[in-house]
Amino acid sequence: MTKSRIAAAAALAATLATPALADFPQRPLQVIVPYAAGGSTDLGLRILAEAIERLYDGSTVVVRNQPGGGGGIGTSAVVHARPDGYTVGAGAQGPIAILPHVGGAEYTPDDLEYIGIFARSLQLLVACKDAPFTDYDSFIGSAADKAPQIGNSGAGGANHISAEAFAMAAGIKVESVPFGGSSEARTACIGGHIDAMVASPAEALGAAESGQMIPLFVMEDERIDLFPDTPTAVEKGVDFTWSSYKGIIAPKGIPEAELAWLREAVAAVAADPEFIETMTEMGELVAYEDGPAFEAMVTKDAEISRSVLENLGLLGMNN
Amino acid sequence: METLSYLAPLFQLDVMWTIALGTLGGLIIGALPGLTATMGVALLIPLTFGMTPVMGLNMLIGIYIGGIYGGCVSSILLRTPGTPASAATVLDGYPMAQRGEAGKALGMATIASTIGGLVSAVVLATLAPQLAGVALQFGAPEYFALALFGLTIIASLSGDILKGAISGILGILISTVGADPISGVMRYTFGVQGFASGFAFTPALIGLFALSEVFTQIERIGLREPAITLVKNRWPSRADMHESRGALVRGSIIGTIIGIIPGTGSGTASWIAYNEARRTSKTPEKFGTGHMPGIAATESANNAVCAAALIPLLALGIPGDVVTAVLMGGLMIQGLAPGPLLFQTNPEIVVGIFGGTFMATIFMFIFGMALIPVFSRILKVPRRLLTMSIVIFCFIGAFSINLNPVDLYTMVGFGVLGWGMQKFGFSQAALCIALILGPMMEANFRRGMLQAGDDLIAMLSGPITLLFLALTALSLCWPMIAARRAARRTQTN
Repeated sequence: MTKSRIAAAAALAATLATPALADFPQRPLQVIVPYAAGGSTDLGLRILAEAIERLYDGSTVVVRNQPGGGGGIGTSAVVHARPDGYTVGAGAQGPIAILPHVGGAEYTPDDLEYIGIFARSLQLLVACKDAPFTDYDSFIGSAADKAPQIGNSGAGGANHISAEAFAMAAGIKVESVPFGGSSEARTACIGGHIDAMVASPAEALGAAESGQMIPLFVMEDERIDLFPDTPTAVEKGVDFTWSSYKGIIAPKGIPEAELAWLREAVAAVAADPEFIETMTEMGELVAYEDGPAFEAMVTKDAEISRSVLENLGLLGMNN
Repeated sequence: METLSYLAPLFQLDVMWTIALGTLGGLIIGALPGLTATMGVALLIPLTFGMTPVMGLNMLIGIYIGGIYGGCVSSILLRTPGTPASAATVLDGYPMAQRGEAGKALGMATIASTIGGLVSAVVLATLAPQLAGVALQFGAPEYFALALFGLTIIASLSGDILKGAISGILGILISTVGADPISGVMRYTFGVQGFASGFAFTPALIGLFALSEVFTQIERIGLREPAITLVKNRWPSRADMHESRGALVRGSIIGTIIGIIPGTGSGTASWIAYNEARRTSKTPEKFGTGHMPGIAATESANNAVCAAALIPLLALGIPGDVVTAVLMGGLMIQGLAPGPLLFQTNPEIVVGIFGGTFMATIFMFIFGMALIPVFSRILKVPRRLLTMSIVIFCFIGAFSINLNPVDLYTMVGFGVLGWGMQKFGFSQAALCIALILGPMMEANFRRGMLQAGDDLIAMLSGPITLLFLALTALSLCWPMIAARRAARRTQTN
């Protein structure tokens, strides 16, 4: 870890020292988002693009949406892009860390260059309308009698895996109900058609304030500012944390100078007050992690996903 | 009176300008095949970062309303649905344009869109909190029953029931390609990753309606055809309005109801409205030949969806369709948490959006009516040139949606399919409806069964589910009932 940090710092220093960098970028940068326009990953990337253009005079960043296949199509396009630094992609947990284990992806996590993370997406488990439980303890108690129906945004997606990973860690049974996207799941939750769902703070905040959803626990080490009264699974004695992230990935083989520029740009944007303000208003938590730390997170997620998928019998399903 | 004061910011010149520009931009985006209202809103969200909430959100709503309306322009003139919402407008709009009555068809579409938009805007402004509860009643079984009911349209839309059923079943089978909605297993993709989400809908639609028509035109290219003489008039006559009265009312109401139900959208609404207009018409045989009430029904319904889809978004914080899901992102960027408390915490924004919806609808009417002569002139372009430009548009439109090269094969494949279907009298409309409703029916049936522990009776026992199942049965038996009633009437005479 320290070693990679030093390497990153060296790269950063090299960035500042190399005059050649003034030449990059000469053309518009392209960020491939593997989801349709308008989702939270897409919006986050558009805010990032705007911030890069603002911080780096004369630079242009174009967001390109290539949705489909649970993010696999767009991510594959990044892997196979020309490694000249002009094409990068949105690094989302599902397509990078999970999809290769489900199968049907034309890449593995090792095929990617990790530039950096600019935001973390925290996750909560929330109780829906008319659920037979209202807090963590009654949730666990009720799960012993009857497996609660937990909605997710799609089979084999990030919050399907996180719900099942929690069930494994806590030793309970849950019944996952897949929906076509998180907004469908949220609608079913508020309408009381499922018992619980995995939600982001942004999805849960307004609904929790008005009593449409009741937060059960936060999937973090420590309690979070937005939900100070909601416990974590860790403090309830279950060794389980999970969070998703918004990062930038690139094809392998980008020349060092360009790579350093990209890394520095992500770091600079993540420290920009205006960027932080807009993201925070959207309910995102801006947090910078460098490339090696990003890669380490992906590796850890991929391992957990592998065991969860194996347990569910979904491992390599689409190979 | 406090409420009215919230409307004041709308009348500032810069806000009005922004709404007008948004509406005009949306209109153009909608009219171009392949650029949908959803994309328009999503792409322009970053522009709203620096705006006040009322200004930014109403610009997006302007794009939405203009975009859904704009789709009718290319549907009517080129048989190319500009957005999926306007696919049903092709049925009567294109034949009218071919008769030279493009101006009138566009005029009716504009008036119908305005009426539908205003009706649902009134409902939004007056009854939003009361009606929003409807949105929460729909679980998987209810969606399944609604989709099943929607599919019965196929039976009444196709002249030949057997061929209609074949088209419909083909559509449902086609919609099973891609990842299984419940288990995520890939079906019929033959290992091609580009098909992992199934055949992309808009490229399929462009192929089915537009490219197939190009093939038909090419077949006739040697024939000398009478040039279309354009009828200058763009205002429907009093008789036209009288004839379309029922269609307008039904379209607006159906659009408003479908708009409130989350996860359904303007595409579904316009097909159901078209079917209702036809079913209740005294002259159902005229539908599909360039009949004004057909356009009135579809266009009033798809624009009624816009404001209605805002009802669950503003009152409950759940989006009514895909575009409003994107709008929700726009709300959140402004630091507003959509949810039931929005009415209390930010009444000025909620009222501002109500007002903006009206304003955008009125701008849409003005721009739409003013641009009709410009749009209709497209038909003056020589056939060959026009046909070639449609081909180019088909390819650009199909590619620009997902930037996925596989979508081009989809478009061409569906073009050939549509051409063959047309030649042998199979209904393309039936296939289109099945493509919209098939996935909704399958996913919700499977989800409902999963949740009910595979107990079919338990799953289908809800009151709304039973209502829609009864409507389904009624809709299927309607032709028989109508025939019997007609027979009895002739007997007594």
